[in-house]
Amino acid sequence: MGSDSESPTSSDDSTSQNPNPNPHPNSTSIDQSLDAIEDQLTSIALAQPNDLASDDPASSSEEEEVFKDAPNGSVLEEENQKERNEGEIVEEEVGVVAAEEEVREEGRLGWRRVNSEVEVDRLSSPSSSGYAGERGSSGGASTASGIEEIGEDRGFDGNGRGEFFDGASDSQAPPWVPGKRHVDEDDASVSWRKRKKHFFILSHSGKPIYSRYGDEHKLAGFSATLQAIISFVENGGDRVKLVRAGKHQVVFLVKGPIYLVCISCTEEPYESLRGQLELIYGQMILILTKSVNRCFEKNPKFDMTPLLGGTDVVFSSLVHSFSWNPATFLHAYTCLPLAYATRQAAGAILHDVADSGVLFAILMCKHKVVSLVGAQKASLHPDDMLLLSNFVTSSESFRTSESFSPICLPRYNPMAFLYAYVHYLDVDTYLMLLTTSSDAFYHLKDCRIRIEMVLLKSNVLSEVQRSMLDGGMRVEDLPVDPSPRSEFSSPHLGQSRIATDSPDRFREAFAGIGGPAGLWHFIYRSIFLDQYVSSEFASPINSSQQQKRLYRAYQKLYASMHDKVIGPHKTQFRRDENYVLLCWVTPDFELYAAFDPLADKALAISTCNRVCQWVKDVENEIFLLGASPFSW
Amino acid sequence: MGCSSSVPSKSSGLPGGLNSDNGGMVDAKNLRVKLVLLGDSGVGKSCIVLRFVRGQFDPTSKVTVGASFLSQTVALQDSTTVKFEIWDTAGQERYAALAPLYYRGAAVAVVVYDITSPESFTKAQYWVKELQKHGSPDIVMALVGNKADLQEKREVTVQDGIDYAEKNGMFFIETSAKTADNVNQLFEEIAKRLPRPSPS
Repeated sequence: MGSDSESPTSSDDSTSQNPNPNPHPNSTSIDQSLDAIEDQLTSIALAQPNDLASDDPASSSEEEEVFKDAPNGSVLEEENQKERNEGEIVEEEVGVVAAEEEVREEGRLGWRRVNSEVEVDRLSSPSSSGYAGERGSSGGASTASGIEEIGEDRGFDGNGRGEFFDGASDSQAPPWVPGKRHVDEDDASVSWRKRKKHFFILSHSGKPIYSRYGDEHKLAGFSATLQAIISFVENGGDRVKLVRAGKHQVVFLVKGPIYLVCISCTEEPYESLRGQLELIYGQMILILTKSVNRCFEKNPKFDMTPLLGGTDVVFSSLVHSFSWNPATFLHAYTCLPLAYATRQAAGAILHDVADSGVLFAILMCKHKVVSLVGAQKASLHPDDMLLLSNFVTSSESFRTSESFSPICLPRYNPMAFLYAYVHYLDVDTYLMLLTTSSDAFYHLKDCRIRIEMVLLKSNVLSEVQRSMLDGGMRVEDLPVDPSPRSEFSSPHLGQSRIATDSPDRFREAFAGIGGPAGLWHFIYRSIFLDQYVSSEFASPINSSQQQKRLYRAYQKLYASMHDKVIGPHKTQFRRDENYVLLCWVTPDFELYAAFDPLADKALAISTCNRVCQWVKDVENEIFLLGASPFSW
Repeated sequence: MGCSSSVPSKSSGLPGGLNSDNGGMVDAKNLRVKLVLLGDSGVGKSCIVLRFVRGQFDPTSKVTVGASFLSQTVALQDSTTVKFEIWDTAGQERYAALAPLYYRGAAVAVVVYDITSPESFTKAQYWVKELQKHGSPDIVMALVGNKADLQEKREVTVQDGIDYAEKNGMFFIETSAKTADNVNQLFEEIAKRLPRPSPS
């Protein structure tokens, strides 16, 4: 569908889809759900840890179904199976077999192996986590998610002020504005209850620490309720992970004296929501270190909110990134595309500095890495990078002058502060030098001056700015003809090829990818490098709500591919009214691709092969190679 | 402890801290001093510094993280110059424990409160005591009541500020980073009060 017609179309959907199985969409407000939960706590067998995997498309009509009481939802699966258009899937599996020939001609492995896996997938797909179930259950249910996405999107992007259920209210500011919204609200506010996605941090005594919406202090009662649920289950010697109440999921994460809760009706998989809570916790650790636990040992009623004073922007920016930044679920980072020599030049000077007592030297542009170097034996986890760059980019004060601030990298050492010297070299490009020494400011300042000089002299900074303007890989630039590519092929990751070309080379003329076989977007994650590359959004994924919807679809796909109970899977081909989604996981990489919903399967598969080849051809420019700071 | 390895100590400093050279001096005519701003969050420390260093005022509040470092040179009537190396610290509680990192070895401490907030005045007194206990013994301290443009919301009287400053041997001034009132005067006055090196 055309980009312009997207939202009207979707709105139409939302009206036409209403006969789906939720007759009382408004009857599931959070507090009622929680009442229901409390009522049932005495009677329900507590959820086993493993009961939680599958998403639950058909639950909407059953408010009673609070806990996920059917392990892996056998009943639901059957239901889904019935409702799913099985014919299409089977037919498509055949498509893969047909494609095999073509792939083999190109002399690559991949899809041949994939082919055999497809069989496995087909067998397991009915239970292949919530994702399968959700898409599978009646057209009504699958577009029901569409409705909500739109509702949420409209609130978020249209207003630029956060997620609204009704998409109404607030001003028209188009770009996302960091900072906490709706501080005037509390759990008695209708608007507050209608928010699609809440995040809470509270202490084990029930004291609120953070809430995405509303004033923490006014939410003391609500916080205490959450705490009561958690401790009730804990008293029974168990742990509550997920409560399902109508279309709401309540996800719990207990981290010592810190409790984190997400209440969401966005239909994201449990694994995704829990991962988001993990990141929120990590962000808190980055600001305070885990030694904050000691405060609770001394005084269980300790009020932690003052300690997080002024960090609302950091959390709200992180929560926002859950809907646009693939790093939040891929656990990988992405690089700014740069000529190999340019990135090498940046890496060389960072390396010099790292030798002089700097633990990590990281040069980034927005959320993309230009180069990074770790001191010997120091490894930096992609999640730490995400949290660190979120912390820096969301805190405006770093832009005004050079700063020296204690920060903690939760995956590196959650107990100790490091000291971060942060300096913006231009509007988007910033240098972070991390050290263990609290006295090192002047040394780091000198390092920065040296680095900045070299970067200016070697034109790295201007190349960085040019790359920002040029953007990354574009699907329309996907090379057509496989034959000339062979000369570019790097034989192996990590073997460097001096690239003399610019991103312009990506723009080779290309024809024939549009139409029903049209590739819209892809994400390629290199497992070895802990890095991913994502294509630029192009027509028809133009609006930020469409981007967010696709992003959520990827997220579900990721969760279903990595399902611990019935996964992991190697391939998945999924067609719905919005996209064809294709996922391919090998020991080396994961590829997520979105196509036009009418795309031909065989063509889509061969296109994915071409994407992989293309990525390999340009890996010198899109990835940071050789540094591999994550291996010891 | 001590200074960072790359910067040679020019004078025997107090131990530790973010000192390039113990907030000391380059020569008799050109002083270089380390100055730290302390005070509750939201009283306008960063605004004062940005007004002084860049002549700017940004009404949108930007919470300082850790501490920002800026420098500015003031020329005095007697043809000496003073280069202030300013540590603009974050006012949040979580950074309080790290404050020694920034004020250790500082030659000047500027303690800021908001004249519309008695709590911030209380917090300022906390910082004064902390500096008296742990700061350099010869530290020059200034007490600054900021947001002087908000007369109608004033809750801390000028006299309260003067009295407290006098009792503690501090220099007192009220400023407005918004209108630029008294901001330059604050730093010039500090510069004048700095102990001069005896010419050698």
